[in-house]
Amino acid sequence: MSNLVVVGLNHRTAPLDTRQRAAFDPERLAEGMRELSGIPGILEAMILSTCNRVEAIAHVAGAPSGPDAIEAWLSDSRGIPRAELRPLLYRYEDESAVRHVFRVASSLDSMILGEPQILGQVKSCYASAVDARSVGPWLNHLLQAAFRTAKRVRSETSIGEYPVSSSSAAVELARKIFGELSGRRVLVVGAGKMGETAVRHLTESGVGSISVVNRSAEAARALAERFDGVAGDFSRLGEMLAGADIVITSTGAPEILIPPPMVEEAMRRRRQGPMIFIDISVPRNVDPGVGAIENVFCYDIDDLSSVVEANLGERLRAAAAAEKIVDQEVRAFSDKIRSLKAVPMVREVQGRIEDICRSELERFLKKGGARDARQLRELESMMSRVAAKIAHPLLEELRHGDGSRNETALAELLQQLLQPRKGKP
Amino acid sequence: MIWILTLAATLYLVGLLHSVFGFYQKRPVFRRLALGMVAGAFVCHTLFLFWIGFTRRHFPITNLPESLCFFAWCISLIFMLASCRYRINALGAFTLPMVSGLTILSQVVWEENHFSPMVLRSGWVYFHAGTAFLAYAAFFLTFLFAVFYLIQEKELKGKNFRFLYFHLPPLQPCDEMSGRFLYIGFAAMSLTIISGAIWAEQAWGRFWNWDPKETASLVTWCIYLFLIHYRLSGRWHAKRAAYVSILGFASILVTFGVNWGLHAFL
Repeated sequence: MSNLVVVGLNHRTAPLDTRQRAAFDPERLAEGMRELSGIPGILEAMILSTCNRVEAIAHVAGAPSGPDAIEAWLSDSRGIPRAELRPLLYRYEDESAVRHVFRVASSLDSMILGEPQILGQVKSCYASAVDARSVGPWLNHLLQAAFRTAKRVRSETSIGEYPVSSSSAAVELARKIFGELSGRRVLVVGAGKMGETAVRHLTESGVGSISVVNRSAEAARALAERFDGVAGDFSRLGEMLAGADIVITSTGAPEILIPPPMVEEAMRRRRQGPMIFIDISVPRNVDPGVGAIENVFCYDIDDLSSVVEANLGERLRAAAAAEKIVDQEVRAFSDKIRSLKAVPMVREVQGRIEDICRSELERFLKKGGARDARQLRELESMMSRVAAKIAHPLLEELRHGDGSRNETALAELLQQLLQPRKGKP
Repeated sequence: MIWILTLAATLYLVGLLHSVFGFYQKRPVFRRLALGMVAGAFVCHTLFLFWIGFTRRHFPITNLPESLCFFAWCISLIFMLASCRYRINALGAFTLPMVSGLTILSQVVWEENHFSPMVLRSGWVYFHAGTAFLAYAAFFLTFLFAVFYLIQEKELKGKNFRFLYFHLPPLQPCDEMSGRFLYIGFAAMSLTIISGAIWAEQAWGRFWNWDPKETASLVTWCIYLFLIHYRLSGRWHAKRAAYVSILGFASILVTFGVNWGLHAFL
């Protein structure tokens, strides 16, 4: 009797320090997987190692001994004493192991719910497992199903739609005002690191042009060059505001640089077209009064974090829908596993019935035989039809049983019943 | 044959449910399903109007049920044109209640054996009434996007990152859409007034008779003219334009409602 198992630790069960010690170097990963799959009783294995989780996904020959062997191996190879490692590990078997793998790939088990990197990490670990030849049909089916589930979760729920970092929240706010960002003009005030991250996110969303203003012209030029933008002189800030749709301020200056009258003047020049200010500097560089001007939207760093918070809430809502998709896929996969498990038993039972038919046919042929070749062919096909008709309902039951019966016990019973009896021909 | 209208109304309702669900869940698949349902309903609706046109031998806008039915058809048409062009989840959830409501209402008050008054037996009725209802439908969308704009603006200014912030379209697209339907509506309404005047000259001998509906549509037309003028001048905030769009739609409702004097045949 074989099983799927998952043994591992993640950000919820283990502290960062242990996770780091347990993690595999990418170069050592394939070697580890080969080693693990070489242990007797472990038929197939792969290791998923990221900064938040280390887990072994395996197809083992026996239920309690398999996970124990994995645990012992993890402890040995990572150099973490078993007594220390044991309470940090979780173990999943069969259906719960399948569910766990699906949830991990769909980013429902991630530290930041819905973050998209995990799927790529699972894919690359699987790729090295394939290279290391440590996986076989079971894990191949499992991982393909996990990728399909993750893809469905991405496309059928909005879990990935809500950005949860401050700089991407800034982009989202700009989108909520302008819709498409292509062709929008960005003005960056200050050459701070945070500002740069926000600008990178904006350029990825296809904004039109970027200009940079900074007290030190040197730093402004350097930043502008990195984004194919233009650098402007700090004294021209007021003028440049009129030509900008999105303004990002991130300076070290302790005072207000952009007061409301400056923005009012800019709005007159730009014929009242909407403007958004994202002020990521602390203390603020944009007077909060700017936000009171018609068609001007002004957000500071606290507002960005409340966007992030609201987005996390939306992700939680989407996660509920995602769990339903995972449920469906787990059910579909369990059916598949059942028929996978049934394959050898089905072959056995089918073989027995065919043997009986064949031996009866041989007996008949030995006694008198068929009149001619045509009759022989007919007899043969009749026997194989009989065999198929007897076998069919039994095999169907084995393959697609509803899970309420123990299919293994049924198969064993069938095999016993179909054994040739001693003493009888 | 009224069953075709019933079928159309049912399909509109099913489409409405899908759109509301798509709006609530932000699932684009429901928007597409809704569009499919509405397309089916629209075909039935069109067949029904043709059938009425052939059996009664007049354009189906000569009494209240007929004109409600035709108005619903116009909004449905504009909705489909807009949905093919723009992917806005909120559109169906707010337009289809109007479409379904009007269709059902027209079916409830439907009158068999209706005879159209002599004055409407003219080729002008097709053009005049067709453009009028098209204008109403376009102005409805102008109004709808103006409302979206005001709500989204309030959420963004108030820093309320709640349901409507997530589910309504972004600000500037709302303003643009509102403007686009404004131009369509205004062009259609201008044609309505011009064709009405020519027809009036033929029927009653005068281009302009100052009957209540004429007067109301002139007022409405002036409101929208004013709105267009200020939108193009760029001296206005989109917010004020949104308020005027709402005022314009209120005026549309009055125009639609006054059917005395020369227009007293509904």
